[in-house]
Amino acid sequence: MSLLKRFFLTSLVPLLLIVSPCLAEPTDISPLLAELKLAASETATLSSSFVQEKHLSIFSEKLLSQGRFIYQKPDWLRWELLTPAASGFVLLGEKGERWNGLSREKERFSIETDPIMGTIAQQLLAWARVDIDWLQQRYRMELQTSEPVSLRLYPLDPGEASFIDYLQILFADDRRHVAEVLMVEKEGDSTLLRFSNVEINIELSPDAFETPVF
Amino acid sequence: MKLFAACYCRLQQHRGWLVLTLLLLLSFAGWYLPQMKVEESISAMLPDGESQVANDFQLLQRAPFARKLVIHLSAEAGVDSDLLIAASDSLRLALPAELFINPLSGPGKLAAGPLFRQVGDYLPQLADAKDLQTVAERLSPAKIDVFVAEALAQLLQPQGVALKGEIRRDPLQLDALALQKLRYLNPIPGVRLERGHFISQDGRSSLILADTPVPITDAAGSKTLLDAFSAARRQLPDGISAELVSGHPYTLANATVIKADMQRVLLASGIGILLLFFLFLRSFRALAVYLLPLFSMLVAVLVTAVWFGSLSGITLGFGAVLLGITIDFGLHVYFALRNGSGARTREQLLQAVSRPVLFGGLTTLAAFAVLLRSELPGQRQLAIFAMAGIVAALLLALLFLPHFVGDRDDLKAPSRQLLQRYVYDRTPGLRISVLLLWLMVSGVAAWQAQKLTVNGELRQLSYLPTELQQAEQRLGDSWGNMRGRALVFASATKLEDALQLNELVWMRLVEQGLQDDAVSLAPIFPSQQTQRQRLQNWEDFWQQRRAATYDLLRASGQKVGFSATAFDPFWERLDRPQSLINQQLLESWGLGRMLDNLLLADGQGFQVMTLIPDRSELISVLERDLETIPGVTLVSQSRFGRQLSGEIGADFSRFISSAGIAVLVLLLILFRRLPEVLLALLPVLTGLLVMFGGMGWLGLEMNLFNVVASTLIIGLGVDYGIFMVCHGQQEEDLASSRAVMISGLTTLVGFGALVLAKHPALHSIGLTVLLGISAAVPTAVLVIPAFRLKRRW
Repeated sequence: MSLLKRFFLTSLVPLLLIVSPCLAEPTDISPLLAELKLAASETATLSSSFVQEKHLSIFSEKLLSQGRFIYQKPDWLRWELLTPAASGFVLLGEKGERWNGLSREKERFSIETDPIMGTIAQQLLAWARVDIDWLQQRYRMELQTSEPVSLRLYPLDPGEASFIDYLQILFADDRRHVAEVLMVEKEGDSTLLRFSNVEINIELSPDAFETPVF
Repeated sequence: MKLFAACYCRLQQHRGWLVLTLLLLLSFAGWYLPQMKVEESISAMLPDGESQVANDFQLLQRAPFARKLVIHLSAEAGVDSDLLIAASDSLRLALPAELFINPLSGPGKLAAGPLFRQVGDYLPQLADAKDLQTVAERLSPAKIDVFVAEALAQLLQPQGVALKGEIRRDPLQLDALALQKLRYLNPIPGVRLERGHFISQDGRSSLILADTPVPITDAAGSKTLLDAFSAARRQLPDGISAELVSGHPYTLANATVIKADMQRVLLASGIGILLLFFLFLRSFRALAVYLLPLFSMLVAVLVTAVWFGSLSGITLGFGAVLLGITIDFGLHVYFALRNGSGARTREQLLQAVSRPVLFGGLTTLAAFAVLLRSELPGQRQLAIFAMAGIVAALLLALLFLPHFVGDRDDLKAPSRQLLQRYVYDRTPGLRISVLLLWLMVSGVAAWQAQKLTVNGELRQLSYLPTELQQAEQRLGDSWGNMRGRALVFASATKLEDALQLNELVWMRLVEQGLQDDAVSLAPIFPSQQTQRQRLQNWEDFWQQRRAATYDLLRASGQKVGFSATAFDPFWERLDRPQSLINQQLLESWGLGRMLDNLLLADGQGFQVMTLIPDRSELISVLERDLETIPGVTLVSQSRFGRQLSGEIGADFSRFISSAGIAVLVLLLILFRRLPEVLLALLPVLTGLLVMFGGMGWLGLEMNLFNVVASTLIIGLGVDYGIFMVCHGQQEEDLASSRAVMISGLTTLVGFGALVLAKHPALHSIGLTVLLGISAAVPTAVLVIPAFRLKRRW
């Protein structure tokens, strides 16, 4: 009993004293979110390269891949991996086409009939558009750092929450786009995306949303 | 025939009783008819009993879309598919639930349900030898490398997060083999799913399917149903239209057109009969002759209603037409008693005319009695109706009518009589001309009759409005032929046996390379026996390959960085104990409605249905193949049409030969001399020949209604022959030529007027009568006397 009491007094009480102010007065991030929303509202097109770093339990090593990401307002996307295996998809509104460079196959999809692609498309569009309203509907947000802005997002949807622990989004210094996304799964696997060479509101090439020719 | 003369004498003193009897009949009919049950269903004219046609007809009614209401929504060019989907939902909700049961605009979000997640687990129960072969091919080192590389590529994609578990569980993409089985469940060829809705390939059409309690043959119910649909359709937005495709609009259109036809035809025939009355009869006493069919019909209605419990509307309408024949008896009695000569007393004239009237009636009775053997319940009912009416008409004509037709008219000048009687003796050239003309017409008719074909297509008997046919065409253009499939039934008392038979059917279809055009439960719902056998095959398969595959998969995975345990869920899956697929499982997957359509159960047992394209060349091949499997029945609309044509042809041949024999026997009893018998048959034979020839020349086909209408030609034609031959034999002049002519004209005006009808069935009756009677009357009046040399006519 005395051991328990000592533990309570020496460890838990100080911890509670530190944490309780945070619980009592959570940081109001609304102004910051409004600022992010305003900064991203002028984005009509976005083009960037990215590096993806996956830490998966089923792989003995981390998986590194590179690719490019293109967005055009309101809902066109191109997500393309260039290494180690060429693959990706384009999305034009509700319909899209994905390809696999390895099998040299293409496949059309609709976000209506392919719920996984629907969720992925919504996620990517939300990051590209910095769609704060959508993110607020889907996630509980916590501010990690304000310079640069880093938000941690906890899924509200039970289905998503069953395999996603949280998302951590790091914004660029000018707050106009997302610089990094970290997704941590319940099982401990994680995926980190680092966006670089980000160009905003540039004129996109005509074939930006066309699938490769095999 | 002295009996009728004796009766006449005896009843002469009791005419009041005769009037009272008729009034009692009228009163009874007046009380009974309003409460009589008249069936509006056309099923009375479709086969019943145990014949193949009857069985096929019953089975065809079980086709999934034969029982469904199909609502086809179309969007104009430029209308957004979102609006079309929203309109489908709003229309579905606006349909009254009591008339449109379980309206369905799509399968819902099947992708989010358990079906796509679970069906792969049942591959061991579903995999046939070809599937095992496919799996075996995937186990080569090169193929495994490809699958593993694809798995890696998928994991690197954003969706990899969600697919990780699936990739570990199914790195060789075996689930796809099970999922492929689902494509054989799609009964709508041109469908894709958009937000859980049926959408056509061009994205411009959507569908709503519903059941209804309104029988397809119920005209009044069809009107209620269509009115409700029209009301619900009004709220559709601009640019979107909806059409209801089912049998109900046809039923209503037919009922409406028949009503309009009857008004038109009754007006035309009424005017014609009045004209005949004023031209040839000109006596209020003759009204009694016209009342005779009315009283005969009342008796026929009462007898038939009591006999069968209810009366088909078709029997009533058609029987009323056929009983027009009974005016014939009345006319002969009327003209004999009013205009006859050569006998001193009225009793002698009645005695003379009763012989041909009675035999004429008996031959007609025999012709209708043949219909008692028909496959069609309506025709059998019609036979009873007509026979009762004819017996009543005979009794009325011979026992009642003589008392009401009045006294004999003054005899005409003998010179005029002689002129009529000896016309051929006086002008031999006319005799030759009449005979040559008759031979020529008969020859041409016989030549043209060879072109006559029989059509058993039931739709041809119905009025098919262009707009409804176009609506059906538009439905077919957008969705493929979903309503015109042939059906293969696998029937057994136990579900397990029915499923086994269904598998045999499926195997035959696969052998013929027809599986891609078929809709079948067999791929997704094999019998328990087959499932157990496949499970065993699956275990044997992996027992032989498991160790080698494990090493290959592990080595291949390690080449691209997968851990040694990455694919452990795949091996755990193979080790998991398996349960068999049953109805409850399929229902839990959301396939309940599909089961309802393809798996039928009744007190007798189970029937598993397979749908195949209704192409005649395909049906003939499969028919031979499938008839070797007991318990399997193939039915198709096209084959049903051919069979029904065959049945109609056989029925008609049977009818003609039986009626012919009966008539021949009666004529032999009556005349006892072959030349007279042959002469008496001339009008009916010529009438039928001209009818067949005329139809062949006009390119018309023989249908069910022509068969029945032919009884009118046979009945009247034989009567004309009997009267004219008797007329030539007897001393008394019964004014038969005049009676035959008026009878023929009355028939032509009364029933030939049906040729004005729009409804194909009524039109074909009118045409049959028009052609047949137009030939039978001149043959009786002109040709029979022309064959008799040195006789008085």
